[in-house]
Amino acid sequence: MNAPLVRADSLTRHFGTAGLFGRGRPVQAVTEVSLSIARGEAVGLVGESGSGKSTVGRLLLGLLPATSGRALFDGTDLAQAKPAELRALRRRMQLVFQDPYGSLDPRRTVGAQIADALVIHGIVPPPARAARVAALLEQVGLAPEHAQRYPHEFSGGQRQRVGIARALATGPDFLVADEPVSALDVSVQAQVLALLADLRTRLGLAMLFISHDLPVVRHLCDRVAVMYLGRVMEEGPVAQVFASPRHPYTRALLSAAPSLHARHRRTRILLQGEPPSPADPPSGCVFRTRCPYALPACAEQIPALQGTEHRVACIRDDID
Amino acid sequence: MSIVLVWVVATVVFMAIHLVPGDPAELLLSQGGAAPDPGVVADLRTQLGLDRPLLAQYADYMLRLLHGDLGQSMQDDSPVTAEIVRRLPRTLELLLVAALFSVAVGLPAGTAAAMRRGSAFDRISSATAGLALAVPVFVLGTLMVMLFAQMLRWVPAGGYVAFARDPLQHLLLLSMPGLTIGVGLAAVVFRMTRAAVLDVMLRDYVRTARAKGVAQRRILLRHVVRTALMPVVTVLALHLGTLLGGTVLVEYVFNWPGLSGLLVSAVNARDYPEVVGIVLVISVLFVALNLAVDILYGVLDPRVRR
Amino acid sequence: MKRLPWPAFAGVGVIALLALAAPVLGLGNPVTMDVAHRLAGPSAAHWLGQDEFGRDVLTRLVWGARVSLSVAFAASALACVIGTALGVLGGFLRGIVEMLTLRSIDVLLCFPPLLLALLVVTLAGPGATTLIPVLALVYLPGFTRVAYAGVLTARSQDYVEAMRVLGAGKGRIMLRTILPNIGGPVLVQFSLAAASAVVLESGLSFLGLGVVPPAPSWGLMIGAARATMVQAPLLLLWPCLALTLTILAMNALCDGLRDAVDPHPAYRTGRRRMLDLLAPGLLPQERAVLDLRGLTVAIDTPAGPIQPVRDVSLQLFPGETLALVGESGSGKSLTSLAVTGLLPGAARVAAGAAWLDGTDLVRLPEEKLRLLRGRTMAMIFQDPSSSLNPVHRVGHQIAEAIQAHRRMAPGEPVELLRRVGIPDPERRVRAFPHELSGGMRQRVMIAIAIANGPRLLIADEPTTALDVTIQAQVLDLLAEFKRQSRLSLLFITHSLPVVAEIADRVAVMYAGEIVEQGPMAEVFARPLHPYTAALLRSAPVEDGPPPEGIPGVVPPPHALPPGCTFAPRCPKRVPACEAAHPALVQVAPGRQTRCIRWDA
Repeated sequence: MNAPLVRADSLTRHFGTAGLFGRGRPVQAVTEVSLSIARGEAVGLVGESGSGKSTVGRLLLGLLPATSGRALFDGTDLAQAKPAELRALRRRMQLVFQDPYGSLDPRRTVGAQIADALVIHGIVPPPARAARVAALLEQVGLAPEHAQRYPHEFSGGQRQRVGIARALATGPDFLVADEPVSALDVSVQAQVLALLADLRTRLGLAMLFISHDLPVVRHLCDRVAVMYLGRVMEEGPVAQVFASPRHPYTRALLSAAPSLHARHRRTRILLQGEPPSPADPPSGCVFRTRCPYALPACAEQIPALQGTEHRVACIRDDID
Repeated sequence: MSIVLVWVVATVVFMAIHLVPGDPAELLLSQGGAAPDPGVVADLRTQLGLDRPLLAQYADYMLRLLHGDLGQSMQDDSPVTAEIVRRLPRTLELLLVAALFSVAVGLPAGTAAAMRRGSAFDRISSATAGLALAVPVFVLGTLMVMLFAQMLRWVPAGGYVAFARDPLQHLLLLSMPGLTIGVGLAAVVFRMTRAAVLDVMLRDYVRTARAKGVAQRRILLRHVVRTALMPVVTVLALHLGTLLGGTVLVEYVFNWPGLSGLLVSAVNARDYPEVVGIVLVISVLFVALNLAVDILYGVLDPRVRR
Repeated sequence: MKRLPWPAFAGVGVIALLALAAPVLGLGNPVTMDVAHRLAGPSAAHWLGQDEFGRDVLTRLVWGARVSLSVAFAASALACVIGTALGVLGGFLRGIVEMLTLRSIDVLLCFPPLLLALLVVTLAGPGATTLIPVLALVYLPGFTRVAYAGVLTARSQDYVEAMRVLGAGKGRIMLRTILPNIGGPVLVQFSLAAASAVVLESGLSFLGLGVVPPAPSWGLMIGAARATMVQAPLLLLWPCLALTLTILAMNALCDGLRDAVDPHPAYRTGRRRMLDLLAPGLLPQERAVLDLRGLTVAIDTPAGPIQPVRDVSLQLFPGETLALVGESGSGKSLTSLAVTGLLPGAARVAAGAAWLDGTDLVRLPEEKLRLLRGRTMAMIFQDPSSSLNPVHRVGHQIAEAIQAHRRMAPGEPVELLRRVGIPDPERRVRAFPHELSGGMRQRVMIAIAIANGPRLLIADEPTTALDVTIQAQVLDLLAEFKRQSRLSLLFITHSLPVVAEIADRVAVMYAGEIVEQGPMAEVFARPLHPYTAALLRSAPVEDGPPPEGIPGVVPPPHALPPGCTFAPRCPKRVPACEAAHPALVQVAPGRQTRCIRWDA
C-alpha cells in the first residue's frame, strides 16, 4: 500500500474559553493525534462523549483549523492550501452528520440540497442535474420523485439517506461519518449501516467512522482507534483490538458494553468515577485517575503510542 | 463594564450636539426658521463653551460631571443638578406604584390563567390584557381624567402636594398617574407570567416533582413560579427602564412635576444643558437597572452564578 | 407553519386602505376651519362633529391615520433595512465588525426610546421629517439584535455546516440558507416596531413635539381635545378610539405573526375519562405488584382521537425485572406515564386498568395517586439534566421527595447519596444539578426514587443519555438495589443488549401493542414474533453476522393497517395476516405472542 489518503500528524486542537481577558484554561479537545487512512479503508474512531472524536473529524476535513500539527489530504496540508485548492479538495471529502433532522435545511427540497453540490463545483451541466440527483437518490435507496419533497416529509432513516446522497454528490474519495446512526432506531440503524458498507465497497470510499457503539465499528471498519480525553489510547486492526485489547481503557470500554449474548460478555471492569475535565487533564497518562492498573510512574510522563500494526499508549505491558 | 457604558453614554450625549450639522448654538436658537440675532448666538456659544477647542470642552465636561455638576439651566441659570435631585424622587415614586400594582395584579392573574388554560377566566383576563396593551398611556390617562376628575369628580384632575404637607392628598394625587402606568405594566407582567408558567409546567423536572408525590400547591410555588419568575423579572425591569423616559406623557397629563415633565419643558425651551443632564441621569439609572437585573438573575438562577 | 392571523390582517388592512385612500374619499380638507360651528356635535354633513376650530373630525381622523401610519411605516422600514444589514454583517463577518456593531447598539440601548427621541427632537426640532429618522434610530437596535441572533443560530445549524462541507462560499450560504431563516423573526420585529412607532408618534405629537399643527395627527387631536373635554367629551373619544383600535389590530397581527413564524407545539387540555363500570374480567391477578389489563391510551388530535397505546396487559411480580422494549413510537413510555398518572395534558386513559397491589391506579383520584407516587411507586427518567430542577440544591430535591410522604430524619439525603455511590456526599448534598456530571445526576435521580423504599420502580430509558462506562455503573447500581430490597423493576428501553443484561422477563411493543412477552432468555433464544426476531437480527453482535435492517417504517397511529400492524414489513406474511387483527395468544406457560404464524 502506498501513501495514505488522509493523514493526521500530531493534530492538536485547543478551544479557548470565553471570558473578557481570556482567563480560564483552554479546553484540550484533541492532543497530538496521529492517524492515517488509506484509500478505501474504513477506520473507526471510538470514545465516550468529550473524548474529542468529533473534533478529529472536523480537523481532518479542514472545517476547524488545528492549533498545532497538520492534517493532510492526499499529500496536501489543508492549512497551507490556497482557497481554490481547498475548494477542489472539498469535492473529494465529505461529511455525514449525526442529526438527520438538523443537517437538512427545512425550507428547501431535498433535491435542491443535493443539487447544491453539483452547482457549487459545476460538476454536471444544468440540464443533466435532475438526472444526476435522481441517480444519487436511487443509489441510497430512495426514489427519484423524492427530490421534490421537503425534509419533514421523511422519516429519520430516510433523511439520513438524503444526507448520504448529498455527501456522495461531489464524488468524494473520503467520507467522515460522525455518529451517523446513533439518532436512529435499531432496525433503521442496520439499514443505514448496510448502505454505508455497500457504498464503501462499491465506490471504494475511505471512511472515518466516528461512533460510541463498539459492535457497529467491529462490523463496518478495518481498523479502530480508541480515544480518551483527546488522545488516542490504542489503535489497530479491529479483529485484534476487539479480541485482545491491550490498553486498560479499551478493556474497560469493551467490557462495559452490554451484549446480547452471554458468551460475548467479558468480565466487567467497572471504572470508578468519571472522566476528568478536558480543561484540566491529569499529568502523565490521562487515563491514570480511573485506571485499575495505574502505577506512580504513570503520572510521570505521557506514554507514546508504540507498536507497528497494533499500537498502544500504556507503560504497563505486563498486565493480562 | 457598567462604568464603561456610563462613560460611553456621557460621551455620546456630549457629542450629540456636535454631531448635528451646522452651528449648534445657531441651531438651538433658531425657532421656526427665523435667523437668530448674531450677538445672541455668540453669547450662547460662550455660555456653552462652544468657542473653545472640542477636547478642552470635553475634558471640562467630564471633570464637572465627576463632581456631579451638570451645568446651569439656560432659562434661569439655576443649577441643573439641584433641580434634577428635587424632581427625580417624584418620578421614581410613580414607577414604584406602577411596579407594585403590576406585580400584585399581573403575577397572580397570570399564574391562575396558566393553571386554568382555556377557561373563561383565562380568556377574559387575556383579552383584558390585550386591550390594556393597546391603549397608549396618555390616552388612558386623559380618559381617566375625564371620567374620574371631570365627570365623577372623585379625584382632582392632577397636581402635586408634598407628602410632608398632606400625606393623604399626596397619595390620592399619586394614585391616578401611578395606576395609569400600572395598568399597561400589569398587562405585560400578566402575559409574561402566563407564558412562563405554561412553559415551566411542561419541563421534565416538574414531572419529576409530581413523580415524587409532591403536592400540587407546593409544585406550583417551589418549582413552577420560582422558575417562571426569571423571565418575568427581566421583562418587568426592562419595561421599567423604558418607562423611565415614558413617564413623560403621564406626568404631562396629570400635571405631575416629575423629572420627565422637566424634560418636556426643557425640550420645548431648547434648554440644552438641562436636556443633557436629564438624559444622562435617566440613562445612568437605566444602565444601573440592567445591572440590577443581572445581579437578581444570579440570585434566582444558580447556573448564572460564578 | 400555522394559520396566519387573518382577522388582524384584515383590520390593519382596512385602516391602511382608509389612510391610503384619504385624498379620494371626498372628505374635504382636514385643515379647513369653520369657526362658526366650533365644537358642533355630529350632523349629516359632519358625521363625527367638528373640533375647536370647526374642522371636520372624521376627515381629520382619516388624514391622521395617513400621517401616523406613513411615519410609522417609513421609520420601521428604514430601521429594518439598516438594522438587519448591521446584524447580518455583524453575525456573519464576526471579528471587529461584530464588536463594533454590537457595542454601538448596546450604547443606543442605554437610552430609553422616548428619551432618545426627545434628545434628537431637541437638537433637530419637531416635525414629521425629523420623526422618521428619530423613530428609525429608536427601533434600529431591535432589528440588529434579531438579525444577529438569527444569524448566530443559523450558523450553528448542521445544514449550514453541510453547505461549508460542500465547498459553498460565504455569499451563497448567506443568501440561500441564512437570510430565509431570519426572514420570519425580522418580519415579526417589523410589525412590532410599526405598532410601537404609532404609539410613540402619537405620544410625541400629543406633547407637541411630533407632527406640527395644523397637520392632522391623532396625538395632536387628543392633546387639543383635552382643553375642551368637559364641553365636548366626544371630541376626545374619537381619536382615542381610533388610536386604540389601530394598535389593538396591529398588536393582534404581531402576536399572530409571532405564533405563525415560531410555532410552539399547541397543547390541548384533556380530562381523563373515568370508566364507570368495572368489567368482572378486569380484576387483578393475585401476586403481581403491577398488573395492567387492557390499558389503552388515547390522544385527541385535530384530526380526531388516536390510540398510541392499545390493549396493553402485563404483570410484574415481586423482585422481578420486566423490560418493556420497543423502538421510538411504540408507546412504551406512554404506557409507563399512564400507570403513574403523569400523562401529558392531551393524552388520557381510554380503557383498561392498572392494578398496583390491588388498587386500580386509573380510577384513583389524583390526591390518592399522589400519595402513592414517590412512596409505593417511583420513577427514573431518561434525561437527568432536565429532570432535576436547576434552581434547587440536590439535597433539597431529595428531601422534598421524603417530606412529601413522611418526616425526614436528619442527614437522610446525605445517607441516600452515599447509598447511590456519590463520593463526598456531605459536600455534594449542597450542590446544584449543573455542578454534577450526567452520571452523578442520574444517581441523584435514583436516590430520589429509592428514598421511600418503593415496591415498584419504573425506569424510563435511564441509561440512554449516558456513556457506556457510566451506563455500566448505573446498571450495576440498579441491580444492587434489586438484590437488597426485592424491588420490582419495570425497565423501559430500546436497547436489546441492555435488556439482555438486566431483565428477567421481556415484553416487546410494536406500534402501540405488546407483540410478544416471556422470559428474557427464552424470547431472545427463540423469538415467537417475526418483529422480535427481526429486531434481534438488527442489533449488531460483535462476531456474529452483520446486522440486518427491517424494511419499511412503523405505521403511524392514525394510519394503522387493518390486520396485523407488522404485516406490511413481515417476511412471514400470508393473506390471513392482513385480513384480521391478531390477538395476543398464550402459546406456552408465560409465553405470549401476537402472531398467527408463530409455529410456522
